[in-house]
Amino acid sequence: MTVKVLYFGRLKELSGACEEEVELLDGSVIEDLFSQCSASRPELRKFRASLVAARNREFAAWDTPLSAGDEVGFLPPVSGG
Amino acid sequence: MANFHLEDRIEITRSRIPNAEIAAHVRTDQDGAVATFDGCVRNHSQGRMTMYLEYEAYEAMALAKMQEIAADLHANYAIRRVAMVHRLGRLEVGETSIFIAVSAAHRAAAFEACRYAIDTLKKTVPIWKKEFFADGAVWADGELPHVSAETPAAKPASN
Repeated sequence: MTVKVLYFGRLKELSGACEEEVELLDGSVIEDLFSQCSASRPELRKFRASLVAARNREFAAWDTPLSAGDEVGFLPPVSGG
Repeated sequence: MANFHLEDRIEITRSRIPNAEIAAHVRTDQDGAVATFDGCVRNHSQGRMTMYLEYEAYEAMALAKMQEIAADLHANYAIRRVAMVHRLGRLEVGETSIFIAVSAAHRAAAFEACRYAIDTLKKTVPIWKKEFFADGAVWADGELPHVSAETPAAKPASN
């Protein structure tokens, strides 16, 4: 299945992308997606503990199952206001 | 589903925020109080002189989260209208980055709701700020939104 991944803030700079389509095995959860996205990006991997994920625009736990066509955002600590 | 109020004004913009117009928008003859919060760009951060800021957002989600905050205000405080406008892009020192206005019959609810709105926005709305100094730039330290550990009853990954 294919999902859309969005990067924001410093993650966008670390990953060198703001958006990408990723092919995943059926049954994957958000953690699997992050492992795949960060496999070739050690700087991104280092930020795992200070990130949250969103699935289809709602905060989601790392063990949330994914479906084809999902939009997953990786979000660093927020600093709006 | 969110308690959506037609008279609220929840926006993300790339233009200068019309603070007075937004404060006026929430005001009705039934209200005895309008509380506002004007978040503006400070000229210093952690001992360094700030030249300007750049804000970016996960816009669709940020707007949804701001609407959730407004719904929470209506559910929990005796208020009438809420306006919440956040600006993105490059902002100069002294400019408004976030403007919140809440009207209510009585001042306590207006003050409390306005305070809840800005405090919650800073913790839950996906917006990021980069600070530019004379000698470099940094992403501002922020707050990591709380995510429930419970796995939502998500639809199966394969249908």
